Order: sequence, then C-alpha cells, then structure tokens
Amino acid sequence: MKHDPKASHCQCGGKMSRRGFITALGVGAAGVAATGAMTARTATAKETPMIPSGEMARIDLTVNDRAHTLLVEPRWTLLHVLRESLGMTGTKAGCERGECGACTVLIDDIPRYACLTLAMEVQGRRIVTLEGLMEGEKLGPVQEAFLEEDAFQCGYCTPGQIVAAEGLLRADPNPSSETITRAMSGNLCRCGTYPHIHNAIQSAAGKRR
Amino acid sequence: MESREHRLISGRGQYADDLDFPGMAHLVFVGSPHAHARIVRLDVAEAEAVPGVIRVITGADVVEHTHPLPVQANFTSPGWTWRLAEVYAMPADKVRWHGEPVAAVVAEDERTARIAADKIQVEYDPLPVVAGAEDALKPNAPKLYDDWPDNKQVHLKFDFGDPDAAFKEADRVITVSNREGRVTGLPIEGRGCVGHYDRGKGTLTMWGAFQTPYLQRHNIAAAMGLPEARVSINAVDIGGAFGLKIHAWKENVVALASKLTGRYVKWFEPQRDFIVTGPHQRDVSWQGEVAVKNDGTLLGLRATVTHDLGVESTQKGIAALSIFPACSSPCNMYRWKGMHIEGIGAVTNKSFYCAYRGYGKDKGIKFIEAVINRVARELNMTPEAIRFKNFIQPDEFPFKAINNYVLDNGDYPGTLNRALEMVDVDKWRAEQEKGRAGGRHIGIGIVTSIEPAGVAVPNCQMGGLTQARVAICPDGTVEVDSDRTEIGQGSEISHVNIVSGILGCKKEDVYVRPVTSETIGQGPLSSRGAVWPASAVAKAAKQLRAKVDRFAASMFDATVDDIRIADGVIGCGKDTEKQLTFAEFANKAFFFPGPRRLPKEVLLEHEQLLSVTTTWYSPSTPESGSSYTTFCTSADIAVVEVDTETGVTKILKYAHVHDAGTVISKKVIDGQIHGGIVQGIGEALMEELKYDRNGQLLNTSFAEYLIPTAVEAPVIEIAHLVTPSPFSETGAKGMGEAPIIGSKAVILTAVEDALSPFGILVEDSPASPERVRAWVNGSKGDEQ
Repeated sequence: MKHDPKASHCQCGGKMSRRGFITALGVGAAGVAATGAMTARTATAKETPMIPSGEMARIDLTVNDRAHTLLVEPRWTLLHVLRESLGMTGTKAGCERGECGACTVLIDDIPRYACLTLAMEVQGRRIVTLEGLMEGEKLGPVQEAFLEEDAFQCGYCTPGQIVAAEGLLRADPNPSSETITRAMSGNLCRCGTYPHIHNAIQSAAGKRR
Repeated sequence: MESREHRLISGRGQYADDLDFPGMAHLVFVGSPHAHARIVRLDVAEAEAVPGVIRVITGADVVEHTHPLPVQANFTSPGWTWRLAEVYAMPADKVRWHGEPVAAVVAEDERTARIAADKIQVEYDPLPVVAGAEDALKPNAPKLYDDWPDNKQVHLKFDFGDPDAAFKEADRVITVSNREGRVTGLPIEGRGCVGHYDRGKGTLTMWGAFQTPYLQRHNIAAAMGLPEARVSINAVDIGGAFGLKIHAWKENVVALASKLTGRYVKWFEPQRDFIVTGPHQRDVSWQGEVAVKNDGTLLGLRATVTHDLGVESTQKGIAALSIFPACSSPCNMYRWKGMHIEGIGAVTNKSFYCAYRGYGKDKGIKFIEAVINRVARELNMTPEAIRFKNFIQPDEFPFKAINNYVLDNGDYPGTLNRALEMVDVDKWRAEQEKGRAGGRHIGIGIVTSIEPAGVAVPNCQMGGLTQARVAICPDGTVEVDSDRTEIGQGSEISHVNIVSGILGCKKEDVYVRPVTSETIGQGPLSSRGAVWPASAVAKAAKQLRAKVDRFAASMFDATVDDIRIADGVIGCGKDTEKQLTFAEFANKAFFFPGPRRLPKEVLLEHEQLLSVTTTWYSPSTPESGSSYTTFCTSADIAVVEVDTETGVTKILKYAHVHDAGTVISKKVIDGQIHGGIVQGIGEALMEELKYDRNGQLLNTSFAEYLIPTAVEAPVIEIAHLVTPSPFSETGAKGMGEAPIIGSKAVILTAVEDALSPFGILVEDSPASPERVRAWVNGSKGDEQ
C-alpha cells in the first residue's frame, strides 16, 4: 500500500521503509483488512526473528487530522510511534526523558513531550506535530514568523519550539512578554536563540490575529 | 529552490537520527560503571543469543581489526612535555573513565540492541581513581598510562616579551588565582552517523553529524586501516556542534560494525552518553602574579594554568592543543612588557577533552579580565579607566603582540566607548550605592576582549587547510562547495550572500552543497568560517566573476569594463538589447563555446569551464607565525543583582558591542552573539560537570546539568562597529566564540563587584546559588 499524504485516512501508516513497515498497519474501513495485515506481520516475524516483546496492541491515532490504525507495544512512546512507525521525522528525539522539549507535540492543543507520552494513552486525542502546522506546502503563521525572525540556528530543537509556541498562542492569542518566556521555558535551545524565538512568537501572535 | 531555512522550519531536516537505509542495523554502546578498572572477563554469549542481535563488538575485536587512533597533534620542543598514549576506539584491557565503552551491540533495531546490551556481563577489577588534576600530579599518584612516568601529558613554557624586566619595573605585584568548572557544550542533538562498508569495492561511506568531514575521513581511514581515497564522509544536517563533533572516535566502531556485518549500521547517541562519554572542556585553575605600575600601567604576568584533561587528549579528542591559546590569550588587547606562562595538562579518570566554543582563548581572557578588574579595584581606578590606559591604539595596526599574534586592526577604545554610551555606568554605580544601604547587591561588570580567529598552527592537523569551489551550472544556477559545514552558525546563508554579491546572480539561484570529505579543509572551528572558507569562497567567486565578465564581453562584442551584472542579469553598458540571464549565458558558454562565443585564448588556455576551485591561506601567518588571522573586538557590560539570601544572580542589563569587520549577514552575527552570550551565562552561573571521588559523574542529564532556558536569557542590547580586516578576502573577522568569551567573564566580574562588601573574590565558577551562599557564609559573616 502506498503512502498517500492527501488521504484523510492513511492507507499505509507512513512512508514505505523499513522504519514504517514493521509496525504500521494498513487498515481501511473494514476490520478484515486489519486481520489480514496482522497475519502478514506474524509471517514476517517468523522470517526475521525479532525479540518477543509482549503483546502488540491495535490502536487508533489521529495525527494532524488523519486517522491511523497501528500495532504498537504498550511501552512505546508517542515519539517512537511518530518517528519509527509513521515515519514522521519532523518531531525530534532530544533527551528522550522529558527534559529538553525537542519532541514537543500538541495533544488537544496542549504542548506535551512525546517522549513521555505513551502512544496508547493518546488514542482519541487530537495530536498535532510540526508537519501538521503546514498549510499544504505553505508555512503556517508561527513557522513563517520563525523564518522571518531567524529564530533558529542548528534547527534541531526548532520543531519543538514552534509547536510549543503554537500551543501557547492557541491558549493565549495575545501573550505578554513574561508569559512567552515562561511558556517557552520547557524547550531548551543550546544555540541560545531565545531572543529571536521571543520576537518570532510576538510576531506570530500578530499574524494570527 | 527550497532554502535550508524553509526545509528545517517545515520539519524536513535530515539529521543523523532521521537517516534510514535498506536493511539498516542499529548499534548501541555498553559503558563501564567504573572510572578505572581492569577488564577481567567480558561475556557476550547471552547478549548474542537475543533474537535480532547481529553481532557484539568488544574492545578485543576493535584491537584485532583496527589501528590505534591517529595522533592529531604532537609538539616535541626541548623543555616541553608532550606525551602520547596508544589508544583504540574501545579498550580491550582497561577502562579509564566512568562510561567508557567496552562493547557495542549491533541489532536489527535499537530497542533489541539495548535489551541485549543489558545482558553483556563484564567483570572488572577496580583500580585506584585519579579524581582531579591536583591529585593526578601528586608524587606516587596512580598512573593512567603505565608507560608514562607520571600523569602529566602536557607541560608548555612560554616567555613572551621580557617578563623579568616587566616585574623589575613594577610598583606592585598582585597575586591572583582563578578556577573554572568542567563543562560540556552539549548540543541538543547527540553525535550520530550511519556507516556502510561496501565489501565489493572495499569502500567505506559514512553520513552523519560530522563537523570536519575531511579531517574525520583522515582519522577514520587511519584507524580502520583503509586507504583514505576509499573513504567518504558526508555531513548531513547537524543539530549543533560547538566543536563537540570535530573528532572521530565512536564513529570508528560504527565503521567496523558495518565492515564486520556488511550492513548499513546506525548509531545515534543518547543525551546521557553524550554527557558521560562526550567531549568536556574548561576545568582549569590559574595561579599567578601580575606586575603593574601605580598609575594602572600593565607590565607583566607570571602564571601557570593547570588543565584537567580527563583521559589523554591528542587522539580521542584534540584539546591538549587548546593549552596553547589558553597560555597566549592573556595578552588580550593590551600593551604588555612581558609574560611567563606555563600550561600544564594532567590526565585523570574523566571523559576526554575536546573542542568547545572558546577552546582556551576564553580561559586566558577570562583570567586576565578578572585580574585587570582586581588591579583596578586595588588602585582605586574604574574598570574602564584601566582599560583605556592600556589598550593598543587604532593607529598601531597591524600590531605584533608579545605572544606573536599579529593583530589585524580594530578600534579598541572606540568599542568600549560605544558600550559606555549604551549603559550609564555612573547611574548604575549610584544605584549600587543606594541599594547596598538597603541590602540590595548590584554589581557592574566591564570586560573587553578580542577573539583570535582562524587557527593555523604547525605540528597538528589544524595547519590551515581550506578549499572552495564555485561553479555556474549549464542552467545558470550556481553551486558552492567548501569545508564549512553548516552547524547552525550560518555557513550556507553567508556563502549565498558572498557569492551572489560577487557574481551578481540571484540569491535563490545559489545552492550551497552539503559538505563532504571531497573538499579539503579543517571545517568550521576556531571561528574560521568567516576567515578561511569564506575567503576561499569569495576568492573563487571573484575569479569566476572575472571569467563571466570576459566571456560576456566576447559574446557582446564589448570590453569587460562594459559588463554590468545585477540580480541575475548580465548586461552590457546602457545597451538594453544586450542582456543575458545567467541561464542564457551559461548555456552559450557550455554548449556553444566555439571561437565565435568565447575568446580563442580562453579555449587555448583550457579556461572555458565556469567552475573555479581554489584555496586560501592567511596573509599574515606565513611571515609572522601568528596562529590566528583576524581578531574581532567586543566590549561587554553587565549589571547583575545577587540575592545573598538565595544565592541567585539576576541579570538586570546586558550590552554587547561587536566589531567583526565587514558584516556578511547581520542576522547571523546577532544570532551568534545571542547564543554565545547565553552559553557564557550558563558557564558563569549554572554549568558544571561534577565527578565524585570515585570518578562517578553525578549530573548526567539536562535536569542535573543545567543549561540556560528562555528564563535565564537576558535582554541583550547589541551595537555593531565595522572595521574591515585587511587580512581576509571579504574584510570579515571570525566571531563565533567572542560572545562566550566576553559573557562568562563579564558576569563573573559583575558578581564579584556585587559581593565586594563581603570581601569576596570570585575565583571559582560557576557562581551557582549554592556556591554564592557558601561564599557569603564563609565571608566575615557581616557586610563590611
């Protein structure tokens, strides 16, 4: 099955790569298809011996307004599923223990660390990643502001910064300078781009109005 | 064409962790829990039995299949100590620091590799631990390297000018000391790469967070025992580097893993490993005395700076070399009569020393700036007055300093004057007086510095290598190659600005290609990007422009003086009929180059292709031996308030004046200034890697090793002066390290000023809340 970025319900669960192939299931509307796919995976598992790591569970995730049905291990984090199962590498792995904010995503509009969030616990919630802030090929307003204000250097923490800023502006469309600083304090930037990030959020607030 | 900026903002960056190849296996390292121990037994059977594990690589495998890591710097002057150790990428017999890898697991996926890694059983025989430089240098200290007489890896001795005469002339000699904590640059992205050894061709290709692909190719090929010509190193998007990704160490194990398994092998370093086994810096202490006249004239310095290198630092990392700039930089921007400086590097059971923004220049300047401010206080002078008295003046350039640096130019008094215009220090001093009466402790710090940039020194791999290529493609687009990897410091946009400015093409038509080991060069380090690679790129672009002018003149039947190029259009005088776009021009030049289009001499000279490859070397270094080419100038003024109850320092005002010569991109420079200042504030107030007596690193996460967040970043006011350097092709000066040099010095001197009623000398950093509290508690108890 081919990855179709335009489809409202993805038929593959990510790009066709080793990364996506192992765990992402294609399911249409019919459950039969899912069974078939699961069977297929078991066969694959026999050919390539993998570590037995507990039961795989079937979950439904809504990421950037698209529904995905996947097989996951209960211990897998949302970060792992986004990057490895769905092949959505816009969300970055930093410390992977809730300290740096590089993996920030929105869950029902609230910024959360995807590395500390289990994929299973966010079923039925609205997950938004950096890719979801794009308007087609166009940058969203917060992204545009980051670009204009030169609010990044190496770019590694940037997806998390942009998503955290988006979350802030959804909650408070007109944040004070102090609010911006506090709201962004969970996102580390070692390049020290904080002053430009601050400017970008102020500018983005204007753009969104 | 999509710009790098647009690509990263939309989440399409391709960093090491984003790489994915068919059949790619994953590698994870297993580290030692001991700081110093013999490896008695290493059992991998249980790990190899885990389904999905492809192979376990041990130190013994590394010793069997690879060579010792190559020596990157070797100085053997008489009277100096410079020791080398034989080290492999992983040890077979002995571990020398907490976390040192002893094995690596290669598995189908990372999680399987981690599960298997936990099943590797290692029996250690612990050895006595050398927990710091002071212990290391004691007689009878346990030795790290059995074939060395002691733990001293480096001892350098310098006489600059005439130190004895300087001290003879002195009205007073003041004893000074200073220490700074061990830190790590710690980009948010760890190190990482994918290696692929092609068994058929005998070639090794690697992609990843490589800051210096050309040097890394040399070092990886040497360790792997492969011909360099068969190795290719390719930089992908790099999530910050700051010097921490210039070396090649664990990367060799990844290469070996691919060679032994025939698979693409990926390794992406978790943050904890990056801290525990990553390059460290600073951790120095200074002891010395300064000679001055009572009118504030600086005369001389005698000082010894002792470095805690961790394990050896000429192979895994290359920072024993940073002892040189630490020893030379105290001259800073002042006239001195003489200095005697000794630099010592001791090996200890800590992670290795490598580059981090500053690379020793920061140490010398931080030290001397603290010293000068102390001298000023003793002489009852202001910090600004003592500097104005001792600055090298604008009409003295180029100035050969006693440390052999040839200072290009600048306006040192003008730089400080500009900063004093931005901050009304007299007003703040009155505020300070007023505050003290009410128990508020405000401190004002003033620091001025130059940044030696663009290193070229003998006896090491940093000899001054750079190469660039600028070419117009047949469709009129322009491609640029250099050794300047994009690590977030603005290489790409800088080269776009330089090339489009010289060629007259459109900015969006310039593509700066990812850096590979095909281009010769040291990469971006020592703030050399704007000096060496940018000069080479500018030089190539100028030569290419001359070709375009010559070819266009021939096509238009005109002279080169008639050729005008702007915004992608090549025109001829005022004749609007005679115009070519770059695409039209390139098409004619490449595909219809016959004698009617190009001057026949061009064809006879084989100069017809629109591609120029060139190199560049510092104009000042060959004659003078100056290790650096440009010296940007900065002045930092900070006002802080220290809460003596909690020990917390708050920055009330921060001003930075900068003169980096010609401005290639103001946005890039401002970003570098912000970033360097924020990192310097981290070093001054928060950051310190803490090892216990057993050599265990105690703070191994962002939760314990604190770096500045948005909350700690102050409002930074910036002013630019522009004194173009005569020594670089564009007039630009290297500036990436200047802000960290000034900021950590200025914050600490401001804290000292704030605490002066307690008689506290800030001789140790960071000035963390607990340390400030200890100082206050240890002072005479009451404010004097």
